[in-house]
Amino acid sequence: MPYDAMSDTSDEDLLAAYAAGEPAAARALALRLGPKAFGVAMRMLKDRAEAEDVAQEALLRLWRAAPGWRAGEAKVSTWLYRVVSNLCIDRIRKARGGHVDLDAVAEPPDPARSAEQELQETARGAALQAALDTLPERQRQAVILRHLEGLSNPEIAEIMDIGVRAVESLTARGRKALEGLLGARRAELGYDDE
Amino acid sequence: MSDKRKAEEAGLGPWFDAGRAEAPAPSGDWLARMEALALEEQPTPQAPAVAVSPERARRGVRLRDLMSALGGWPAVAGLAAACAAGVWFGAVSPTGLTEWTAATATAAASDSYTTFEPASGFDVAMLGL
Repeated sequence: MPYDAMSDTSDEDLLAAYAAGEPAAARALALRLGPKAFGVAMRMLKDRAEAEDVAQEALLRLWRAAPGWRAGEAKVSTWLYRVVSNLCIDRIRKARGGHVDLDAVAEPPDPARSAEQELQETARGAALQAALDTLPERQRQAVILRHLEGLSNPEIAEIMDIGVRAVESLTARGRKALEGLLGARRAELGYDDE
Repeated sequence: MSDKRKAEEAGLGPWFDAGRAEAPAPSGDWLARMEALALEEQPTPQAPAVAVSPERARRGVRLRDLMSALGGWPAVAGLAAACAAGVWFGAVSPTGLTEWTAATATAAASDSYTTFEPASGFDVAMLGL
């Protein structure tokens, strides 16, 4: 089946076709899920090379899980977001717990300050990203999945392995923090002129 | 976007709109590599299994065992050739043999005796005759 004919096919059906050895399904899935995996990883890690590594690892796990995939058990995109999110959190924690050269860091990082600097020199999307970067990792993850990837709260609960109420709480706290960071910059980035 | 999400975003809506519009996109090279990786990791298509009845499967095993006991395909081919030769000898009229026996019947009796004497000179010498 040609790739064009697969645009209406669900991820789950495509994965079944992939497991059955259909090459067009492999191409369709890579082109459909690759950007999603990369997008979340990039928003979480802020580093293109790291985001590519994480997204590649998540996709590789998906290809290897395909033959044993049980239809109806999990949504492919939810599963993929979960793997990407967990890999990102692992990397963030490793980076935080890793060796830090104190000579190379003259002063402790000030998230609010770096966000302000970003706000001054970047566009609106970049300003939001800079503000997101200052949030605690779980809040950042929940806000990205909810407001940038457009997932439902139950899907995010499954991805983050927490309850729906906990997701609502995380996103609410995340939004409040973002309002504090971005509210004062509305005029600066032209929102008050619209 | 759902009304619930819109209500949640409230004053942050324009910021999230900007963030969604500026979604990080992977490079074409990376996507091409992911496509190649997907194809590389893809399971090879399996031929549909043909159902074989247990009786047929047992017959197949017995035939294989018999052929193996005889010495495999070369031995079976030799056996088949010998069988075909036997059938040919039986089916074809022995005109050459009839002509030969007719010719010997008209020869001298001693000649016929000599011709059909089964014992050779060596046998006679050994027996002291």
